[in-house]
Amino acid sequence: MNWVEIVWIVMSAASLTLGFIHLLVWFKQRSQYAHLLFFAVAASATAFGGCELAMMRSQSPADYATTLRWAHVPLAMFVLAIVWFVHFYLEARRLWLAWATSGFRLAGLALNFVTGANINFREVSALDPHMLWGGAVVSGPVGVANPWAIVPQIGNALLLVLVVDGSLTLWRRGGSDARRRATVVGGSLVVSIAAIAGFAALVNVGLVHAPTIVMPSVFLIVLAMGYELGWDMIAAAQLAARLRTSELRFRAVVEAVPSAILLVDEKGAITLANAQAEAVFGYPRAELVARPVEMLMPQRVREPHVGLRGTYASDPRTRAMGTRRELFACGKDGSEFPVEVALSPMATDEGFFVLASVVDITERRRFERTTALQRDELAHMSRVAMLGELSGSLAHELNQPLTAILSNAQAAQRFLAQSPPRVDKLAEILSDIVKSDHRAGAVIQRLRSMLRKEEPQRQSLDINDVVEESLRLMRSDLLNRRVVVGHDFADGLPAVHGDRNQLQQVLLNFMMNGCDAMDGRETDRRLLVRTQRTAHGNVEVCVADSGAGIPLADLNRIFEPFVTTKSNGLGMGLAICRSIVDAHGGRLWATNNADSGATLHIELPAQRS
Amino acid sequence: MGDLAPTVHLVDDDPDLLKALGRLLESVGMRVATYLSPHEFLERCDRNAPGCLVLDLALPGLSGLELQRTLEQQGSTLPIVFLTGRGDIEASVQAMKHGATDFLTKPIDDTRLIAAVHEALAKGQALHRASAERERVSRCLASLTERERQVLDGIVAGRLNKQIAADLGTAEKTVKFHRGNLMRKMGVRVVADLVKLAERAGVGSTTRT
Repeated sequence: MNWVEIVWIVMSAASLTLGFIHLLVWFKQRSQYAHLLFFAVAASATAFGGCELAMMRSQSPADYATTLRWAHVPLAMFVLAIVWFVHFYLEARRLWLAWATSGFRLAGLALNFVTGANINFREVSALDPHMLWGGAVVSGPVGVANPWAIVPQIGNALLLVLVVDGSLTLWRRGGSDARRRATVVGGSLVVSIAAIAGFAALVNVGLVHAPTIVMPSVFLIVLAMGYELGWDMIAAAQLAARLRTSELRFRAVVEAVPSAILLVDEKGAITLANAQAEAVFGYPRAELVARPVEMLMPQRVREPHVGLRGTYASDPRTRAMGTRRELFACGKDGSEFPVEVALSPMATDEGFFVLASVVDITERRRFERTTALQRDELAHMSRVAMLGELSGSLAHELNQPLTAILSNAQAAQRFLAQSPPRVDKLAEILSDIVKSDHRAGAVIQRLRSMLRKEEPQRQSLDINDVVEESLRLMRSDLLNRRVVVGHDFADGLPAVHGDRNQLQQVLLNFMMNGCDAMDGRETDRRLLVRTQRTAHGNVEVCVADSGAGIPLADLNRIFEPFVTTKSNGLGMGLAICRSIVDAHGGRLWATNNADSGATLHIELPAQRS
Repeated sequence: MGDLAPTVHLVDDDPDLLKALGRLLESVGMRVATYLSPHEFLERCDRNAPGCLVLDLALPGLSGLELQRTLEQQGSTLPIVFLTGRGDIEASVQAMKHGATDFLTKPIDDTRLIAAVHEALAKGQALHRASAERERVSRCLASLTERERQVLDGIVAGRLNKQIAADLGTAEKTVKFHRGNLMRKMGVRVVADLVKLAERAGVGSTTRT
């Protein structure tokens, strides 16, 4: 055996090996047609390699012609496989080009068997032995060219166009992967096909006197394609590794999150739960996975939740669940607890999933309740203290109707004692007594309500009423302090939702503050109470005094605890006001007036009807 | 003076209380006028008519004390009974210093109120009568001739007719004549009454200075 034979056998065997490898890959992944087509390319190359070796070793022109004729069968298969490989792998779009190439090539194959000795030669008249390097002798043909050879050559040219076109399209689409593919596959195909076809054509027409050696180019194509497909397999393997890392990372994150995480599929089944979910719900993971997520809810919400899942799937956004209602979950031991749930949609190839993050807020709720309780208690204490300060005024408010009642009753006694008794006056007197009694009763009622320690009761309130009532309670105090009160109430204000006692406390506090601020003034003590609608449709109450105003540095601080501008103040009054107004969803602020004094403002949200 | 019954003026900003107090005073046959504010009182009230004022201490606008001060400045002698919701010592001292008749704390006992009002009315009546008398005396004094006046001064100073005649450089008989005329004009019969009257009208002091 000379080296040519060894090399040809090695090339053929290597092609076959590569082909089988990819055939195996194709068996595992039937959708990857590129691997099957590559097997076809490699197998054809092997067969062609055998044929070419036989041709080179031919001892007679007839032998040579016959072998060449049969060599065209694997060669045509090789070209056809390349055509469709290029079509699928380079994602060429011109389907007609692929069909045309295949057509010419198959026609060439047919003509190969019906015209001349083969498609290359009408007849092979002699053999022309060539001595190659290393003393190897190979046979080349001498004969008359077959004019039909033009048909497969057109096919070759079309193949060239197909490859160039496909490569350029792929190149233009950009991306490093696409460009590499275009360069390696397209480039090697173009070079090899041009080499084979050109060389064969030159030999055929007798311009080059050489044996037709095609196999090395064919093998080059096989190598290039094999390299490219191998690269794809490596990339896929790397992707798989990255996916695995990503999956691990996802798991680690899910496990590390301090809230319970549940991944729920389209049908509502739990597909993943983290350790925190086990802790929160009390189920081991095995009892959670593949079970309906409704098992974690109280009985009463299970049914409605099925419908809600559908609603979410129709508008999947990352959002909090149930923003308008309290959510409750149910643990394995049957205990119910308040939760906060955040939902995120996850659309995957395997379907639609929802990632639910659940936080047990029992502790938070308890804390909120304690805080509210303390706030209300403090508010109550401060209210009692404030009413103490106002006791003179309040006594006066009671004293007035009581005095009227007494005087009326005594007048009635005297009218009756006259002779004859003046009975005519009695009806009027009695009705006035009743009226005054109601008036005194209302004051006591209000006082009792403010002094009583009870949970705040939110109700729909007309803020003008609340302001007016506060002014009434303070009336005598204001008179005594020589404060002239003006009021400006807006009509048609929206109702506010609040606790009457607490809001009145805030207003009284504001007014007493205003009065205190004017204590240093000899004259012109004015307090203006105004109600109005804000730009946002809320309700605002302003209490403006004509005192010295608030130092700029304190303007934003006076609602903080222990901040006071008074020498004998504890600085708790306004801080408690703020906590009350905060609890009502409103806000407080202070401004200095343009002329003199300061204004305290309360904004309360309008009640949603 | 006797034809006009004295009026009790009531000022309180609480309409219910105002009505009740008015009614109580009416039940004992008093004439009552009610006012919801000091300003209304200043506008409507005839301060020269006999009567008294029952005034709430804490009033919006002009306070009770301020109204008292205003009336004082205007030369009114209307006696004032103050009412107050609370025992305000400082205010009551102020009020009494400026001549308030009484100071009552609400709720007010009817007998106390009626007594206080009676007292105030009496004081008012007396003041009214005194000022009327003063007016009459000064009218009488004004009607005296110069000579009669000189004789009166002499009488008030306690001099005898003879001495007065000597003082004036005239006859005792003439003095007796003048003395008879001025006694008639002053509407007195005995010298003692004349002297009392002249003293009340402050005749002695005016002539000395």
